[in-house]
Amino acid sequence: MIVTILSILLIVTGLVFFLGAAVGLMRFPDFYCRMHAAGKGDTLSSLLVVSGFALYQLNDIRDFPSDWPVLLVILKLLAVVTFIYLTSPTSTSALADAGWEDGIDPVIEPGHENHLEDDCRKPPVSSPQP
Amino acid sequence: MKAKIFASIAVVITGAILLYAVIDFPDFGDPGSPPNAGVPGGAPAASRYYIQNTYRDSKVPNLVTAVLADYRGYDTMFETVVILTAGISIFAILRVVRRDDDPSAPEPVASDRTIDGDHHRIIVGITCRIAAPLIQIFALYVVAHGHYSPGGGFQGGVMLGASFILLALSGSLRETLARFSERDYTRLAFVGILIYAGLGLLPMWVGRNFLDYGALSGLFMTKGEEMARSHSMLGVEIGVAITVMSIMFAMFANLSTRGRLQGGL
Repeated sequence: MIVTILSILLIVTGLVFFLGAAVGLMRFPDFYCRMHAAGKGDTLSSLLVVSGFALYQLNDIRDFPSDWPVLLVILKLLAVVTFIYLTSPTSTSALADAGWEDGIDPVIEPGHENHLEDDCRKPPVSSPQP
Repeated sequence: MKAKIFASIAVVITGAILLYAVIDFPDFGDPGSPPNAGVPGGAPAASRYYIQNTYRDSKVPNLVTAVLADYRGYDTMFETVVILTAGISIFAILRVVRRDDDPSAPEPVASDRTIDGDHHRIIVGITCRIAAPLIQIFALYVVAHGHYSPGGGFQGGVMLGASFILLALSGSLRETLARFSERDYTRLAFVGILIYAGLGLLPMWVGRNFLDYGALSGLFMTKGEEMARSHSMLGVEIGVAITVMSIMFAMFANLSTRGRLQGGL
């Protein structure tokens, strides 16, 4: 019972973050803000929802030693969680990088400086190190 | 320009022939079509036969794989040959071998707006290095489990190829080619077909039909012919996976570098 309530709580929280990610994707002004919303919201919500599924699977263990295959399902779900945790932020980072290298400029409000410009603009490379 | 016109004519003619062939197909779900209703002359329907007899014949729970790799193994063998042909065509059309290409030349820099230092390379590179072996292990599982659950040689081969493509995308194509060179993947593409065709030829050694895996029970030291068929399906899937993996990576390497195998994405 308490496991069910906890898992529902996790899944609903995940859905809220999904909604936030979707709204951010539609409403934010430029590429980087959208990547921020999509990357962070999507990662966290996927993690929460899949963890909720894993927790819900605990309900299927009624009689422990004979119901052990349920643990395999939970293990697989946790493996999915680990993969999302590793790969989703990485792909977000790679995409934001690619956007910057491709020449997409962030939207800067008047009166603010583009620090990304100072930090990231590299002097033209004549001969890259092997 | 002329080449483009000829290519367009070839494409249009091929497309017209394919469209013409589609007209002869039975309607989707047509109860009177041969696979659904049985062939004239009273023979049992093909699909009913597979559903009722696959497990008895080959002890394989996944009917799709049994039909693909055993009952219609001849078809699947030439499907694999089609993939090999696609790889060969890409090689023939795109691959450029120039004598003045210096393999130790520095890679061209795509943009001057690179993020300072190698921080982003570290993030992406390390994650992909962690992920690639896991993807490969999962792909081997998909290949080996093809006759028990969804999966098989084509899917597993695509995943294996994708893991190499991931390495080439995250690091550099040159590093990946140092590990999985053009010579390697060209050879492996043919080795996969040879595994398939060789498994098909072995039964002919003892006087049975081509691809009649049941005759291999002596080779696999199984009790009945059913398990021999099951094991042969695994062998065939491995051959398919090797070919698909090599051709996937060959396509990526040639397409992303316009056949030069240098620089790349």
